[in-house]
Amino acid sequence: MHPITRLLCASALVTCSTVVVANAADTGARTHWHQAIQSGYESLATDAAELATVATGYCNEPTPESRERLQSAWLDAFLAWQRVRYVNFGPVENSNLSWQFQFWPDPKNLVARKASYLLGTDEPVTDEVIEQSGVAVQGFPMVEYLLFDEQLNGSENALPATRNCEVLTAVTRHMSSNSRTLADNWTAFKPHYLETAQYRDATIKAGMTALEILEERRLAQPMGLRGNGKRNPYITDAWRSGNSLMGVEATIVGLQQQFLPGLVTLLEAGGNLALAERIRHQFASVTENFPQAHVPVTNLLGDDSQFRLLQNLYVDVSQLTTLVNDEAAVALGVVRGFNSSDGD
Amino acid sequence: MSTRFHPLPLTLAVSALAFAGCSNIPWASAPAEPATKASVVEHYATLAHASYEDALTTARALDAATDRLIAEPTTANLTAARQAWLAARVPYQQTEVFRFGNTVVDDWEGQLNAWPLDEGLIDYVRADDYQHELGNAGATANIIASHRLTVGGETLDVAQLTPELLARLNEVGGSEANVATGYHAVEFLLWGQDLNGFNNGAGERPVTDYARGSDCTHGNCERRGQYLDAVTDLLVADLEWMVAQWAEGNDGNYRARLTAASADEGIQKMLFGMGSLSLGELAGERMKVALEANSYEDEHDCFSDNTHNSHYYNGQGIQNVYTGTYRRVDGRLVSGPSLSDLVEQANPQLDEQLNSQLDASMEALGLMKAHAESSQHPMAFDTMIAPGNTQGAEIVNNAILALVQQTGSIEQAARELGIAALAPDDAGHAF
Repeated sequence: MHPITRLLCASALVTCSTVVVANAADTGARTHWHQAIQSGYESLATDAAELATVATGYCNEPTPESRERLQSAWLDAFLAWQRVRYVNFGPVENSNLSWQFQFWPDPKNLVARKASYLLGTDEPVTDEVIEQSGVAVQGFPMVEYLLFDEQLNGSENALPATRNCEVLTAVTRHMSSNSRTLADNWTAFKPHYLETAQYRDATIKAGMTALEILEERRLAQPMGLRGNGKRNPYITDAWRSGNSLMGVEATIVGLQQQFLPGLVTLLEAGGNLALAERIRHQFASVTENFPQAHVPVTNLLGDDSQFRLLQNLYVDVSQLTTLVNDEAAVALGVVRGFNSSDGD
Repeated sequence: MSTRFHPLPLTLAVSALAFAGCSNIPWASAPAEPATKASVVEHYATLAHASYEDALTTARALDAATDRLIAEPTTANLTAARQAWLAARVPYQQTEVFRFGNTVVDDWEGQLNAWPLDEGLIDYVRADDYQHELGNAGATANIIASHRLTVGGETLDVAQLTPELLARLNEVGGSEANVATGYHAVEFLLWGQDLNGFNNGAGERPVTDYARGSDCTHGNCERRGQYLDAVTDLLVADLEWMVAQWAEGNDGNYRARLTAASADEGIQKMLFGMGSLSLGELAGERMKVALEANSYEDEHDCFSDNTHNSHYYNGQGIQNVYTGTYRRVDGRLVSGPSLSDLVEQANPQLDEQLNSQLDASMEALGLMKAHAESSQHPMAFDTMIAPGNTQGAEIVNNAILALVQQTGSIEQAARELGIAALAPDDAGHAF
């Protein structure tokens, strides 16, 4: 038993038994979460290593086939990241790894500005240069820019231009190294995560924040459902490669596979069987009704009949968010504090 | 207001309950009666009123100074107008803590302080050093050079540059970066684009941009003057409205509604404002994004290089609300029942901790200000965030960390005062 619990039991015997049950469920949930997130990080490390290898291979021998392999390796790694992106505590906070993987949103097109500097400089682009270049350079959006930006692809700097290849291989190496570090640090973090009761709430809040970001920032805002009502594909993730919706789907699947089982364990231990079932059902319904994920969101935003597909998805996701962020949070006594979305 | 957002919550390094230093609180001298939640909320409204009054006074001085510049475009008058702008920022930045939680402020402030802006909407920019928001059809509209504008399929008559017209042009074409009004529009009209990147130096707009006849540089000097006149008039009018909202003895204003509602609601707004500005806005959007992305596009006062002061006085505003004090621009001290008094009644150790953390934040922000204003080796915020500037990064990071730490204690204070949810719940209320 945890020392704090022992203390509680000594002073308040009446509440002791429920505390013990709750604690067993907490430990069970955290054990599951740790393992699930570990496997998420391992996939990311594997896919990012593959991306780095394929990038080098392409630059050594640029053929249409190797280009295709490169683009699909980027997508695999990007989706692996989307599945585990919701984790916003623990080792991913070190050196700001989360922002390094994906600096987003980027309304001022910083990625283009930084790329144009790196592609235009006479200095060699070494690993050290990438290390020093800030989060807009160090992750998925930069590689996506190098691979998919229309303007760049029409210029003399388009891949496989030497300088572009230098940036591409250095950035993918950087991502591969970061993802390996992250997976290893998550392993080392295990005892602390399992021993520290606060990580129960931290993990639940991470899932809640991810759902809120999905609903508000990745769907409602680009769909023009907020603020000034303008539809704007540029504020989605991965708009350059047309993979925004695949990214959304990957995040939901990641939450379903990694986050949901622990959440259900806790809800059921607290007697909230019906709510647990409704949440499980709603996750299934979002993934089952997911619109054709291969359609770029730009197309869906531009066509009113297609837009309805997005509206349906939005409604499904909002219902899920309400169930988790309102009902489950109250049932589990999770109080949300300040987070970075409190700004404007 | 911009909806910039970065999804990674800053670490709430919930510090161990350490007795980290004891702050000396000169204003805590023997209050006549113990503070109550109601008296604290009442005094909060008094603080807000005094702060907005000062913002108004200094905005009127700015309006007068820009009128002189327009009438007589001399270097001395340009310098005086810039000084007046800098002085106006001091009280205004201290009011930002009233924004979050008080919808009446949040819905209004975009017209005054929206950023970052695509300044090409307003006036000329250097094409090769101007990065605007993706998909913004108005990013290079140049209102000053045009009598008609076509933005996103909409054609607008902009021949007469009036305050009302400029207010309507905000977010034209649906882009939040289309900021036609407020402090940053005035800042751009006084300083111009900062073309120095990470190097020292702010915008260098020549005074001849307001000159008459053939002395006029960059064209349309008269319209530029009309724009500056209209935008400063609007700023004054907007602040007059907000001062009235917080004035005592008016049954129909915001203060009356706030003080008539439950005191817990008011306390929650106070804490929510402090925490939101501290963590999400100041530490996150205004410092961490700029630093981690090495992005001077994300610098708050980017034309004038006054960002250090904007940050410093934001921090001061947070401390003002907690301690119930405000040093007015004329030197008078406003003080009264405070959150600090309430927390001290409930948990003296937490009160001491939060007070010392607020002091530590002001010290870290003060160091940033001192470096930026150093006469020997000035290092402005846009230089601090340059790639490879480890000293600059440390200065900014220390300020971020201090703000993150104090936010953890603000959350604790909320719990201590029985405020469970910090999300503003205004369902069923008119504000």
